[in-house]
Amino acid sequence: MQRTWVVIRREFLAKVRNKWFLIATLLGPALMGLAMFLPAYLLTKSTGVRNVTVVDASSDQVGRRIAEALDGAPLITAHYLQTTLAAAGDLADSLAAEVGLKSINGFLLVTDQTVTDGQVEYRGSNVSSQMDMASLQRYVEEAVLTERLERVGVDPRLVADARLRVDLRTINIRGGKTTEQSGQAAFFLAYVMWFVLYIALVVYGQLVAGAVVEEKSSRIIEVLASSLRPFQLLAGKVIGVGAVGLFQLVIWAVMAKILIDQQAFFLDLFGIQIPGGRAFGLPGVPLAMVGVLLLYFVLGFFLYATMFAAVGAMSSSEADVRQAQQPVLMLIVIPALLAFGALNDPDGPIALTLTLVPFSSPIAMPIRWSVSAVPLGELAASVGLLLVTTLGVTWVAARIYRVGILMYGKRPGLRELARWVGTR
Amino acid sequence: MPDPVVVLEAVTKRYAGHTAVRGLSLAVAPGSVCGLLGPNGAGKTTTMRMIMNIIAPDEGVVRLFGERWDSRNLSARIGYLPEERGLYKKMKVLEVLVFLAETKGIARRTAKQRAAEWLERMGLAEWSLKKVDDLSKGMQQKVQFIATVLHDPNLLILDEPFSGLDPVNSQIMKDTVLELARQGATVLFSTHIMEQAEKLCDSVCIIAHGETVVDGPLAEVKRRHGGHHVIVAVERGSQAVDQVWADRSLVAKAHNYGQYAEVELADGADPQRLLTTILEAGARISRFEVTEATLNQVFIDLVGPDAARPAARGEA
Repeated sequence: MQRTWVVIRREFLAKVRNKWFLIATLLGPALMGLAMFLPAYLLTKSTGVRNVTVVDASSDQVGRRIAEALDGAPLITAHYLQTTLAAAGDLADSLAAEVGLKSINGFLLVTDQTVTDGQVEYRGSNVSSQMDMASLQRYVEEAVLTERLERVGVDPRLVADARLRVDLRTINIRGGKTTEQSGQAAFFLAYVMWFVLYIALVVYGQLVAGAVVEEKSSRIIEVLASSLRPFQLLAGKVIGVGAVGLFQLVIWAVMAKILIDQQAFFLDLFGIQIPGGRAFGLPGVPLAMVGVLLLYFVLGFFLYATMFAAVGAMSSSEADVRQAQQPVLMLIVIPALLAFGALNDPDGPIALTLTLVPFSSPIAMPIRWSVSAVPLGELAASVGLLLVTTLGVTWVAARIYRVGILMYGKRPGLRELARWVGTR
Repeated sequence: MPDPVVVLEAVTKRYAGHTAVRGLSLAVAPGSVCGLLGPNGAGKTTTMRMIMNIIAPDEGVVRLFGERWDSRNLSARIGYLPEERGLYKKMKVLEVLVFLAETKGIARRTAKQRAAEWLERMGLAEWSLKKVDDLSKGMQQKVQFIATVLHDPNLLILDEPFSGLDPVNSQIMKDTVLELARQGATVLFSTHIMEQAEKLCDSVCIIAHGETVVDGPLAEVKRRHGGHHVIVAVERGSQAVDQVWADRSLVAKAHNYGQYAEVELADGADPQRLLTTILEAGARISRFEVTEATLNQVFIDLVGPDAARPAARGEA
């Protein structure tokens, strides 16, 4: 144990002191911050104050109501311009020139048909912005609707009441109990976990394979093998790299918390304004959830990392590893993609299967757990299957590792591997 | 003889298609320097790996310090220099040494102190905080050697310890090995360079095709297999001696190296008679020395010209 610890510590320090660890650790939150703030930033950009002219060629000044509605909307200023149907063409030309000079973003052509047939035309430089067009559509629609209702004699106050918007709040129910979690937060949490588990297995798994083949290609392995049992070496590698992974995840979690808690400060820093002032809320994470996540992370990591170690041991160079690890990568990628899909029906047969099959459960179970109440029996069955599989895979991987670390040259085929597993 | 430190009893190792080591037995006395000699592919490295329990023998028993199996429990008492040298390239010299000592169960502080002492002794003190990668090949070899002896082992297992070293560093290492042997360490090293073995060894074990050809104390091996030898150098142009070498009543074997010839006398032949015969043949002698056989000579005689052939055949 003492000697395994020595290997773990060396592996951990070697990886943490590497400049790539520093870069990845800093770059992670930078990307995370970008993912959080960029949409908000782009949102402000695209909804920056729009200058719209309403050209009213109607006979009853319906355009005035539209202009007022637009002017009252956030981030839009509207000017009203009355004209006749005959003069509208010339006016449109001169306004087009204004748009070209960027003094206005565009103009709306309102006619009598606007109310009767719903015909209205917008010409502008921002027509490709879906966001702009959607809000333009909404305000024009509301104004026209009000106009129509009033024409048939509906009380304007009733119209105002009828226009009150419906706000759908979603709240997650788990195991018959209403939680504080909103539906969005639950989804967000599931997404973050999927991302973290997937990245952890793929990146740190490959790091294990790299660490093993590095010892082979630098030929230090024989010195190590003379004083350490192969299993001590294997355990040292896997635990050492796993600890680096956990360490990095903890750093990221802390940074994410700071980013989210202090988002007002960061938003200010970049001059971004968001209605309501917050882009993200930190979903409340129950303790049981953290437990499930850690349990599956550890078991899943051992399951895959030992396979990656075996891949490293049967290869002689980095290039060899990249080829040989493809099947193991597929074993992570495919279930991971399926698991994400299972979010839609977290208690359905697909989700149940994915949480029981050992190669997909490390990712699927924490995700399913985060969005629905998983019966304890299913959890126990899933953990049991995963544990047995992990032990079995570790046993096979250790036997491949033991023989592989001293073999150089051509990579073994499946039959050769089976022989390795069988040797005394 | 006191209980041997290393004992191999009828050890056999087979690989797919060939037998690397076949029924090899060996005993190394405590405090002695033993050379495991053999041509390339004779099974030296396989034997050493079996002694270190890196690979398990198919048959036979390995005993170290009188105990069976796991050399890893004894690794604090054993220094192993494998044929395949290697260090962590990105680590600092001192850190690698401390790490390798720790894997043998040496405490961190002790390891640090001893590593510093050895680096000083090997003239590498100012390199201790440099990365291994920044060192020259020769310096890396020295670091590797330090890693082998750092934990003050009683037994040194050295696989081709002097290969790839320049004469100066080679000498430094030989001196260090002999110094450690004088202090009581037992040394088993492999080489295919007989001159090295001759200078260092108390006893030798010559193997070929995975089998022992001869073993025992160096002097005895040479006496038993060497016969009477004479080194003769004649001046150039003296072709006349060739017929003397062909005289089977006088000469058992002669190896003409160009600059001089090494001659093994026939049974009962007198060196004085050889001298007279050469003079009578009209050759001018510049050197005539009665000597014992060189280990090189014994080796070539015993292992034969087909020594370099791999051991794969003979299985069918």
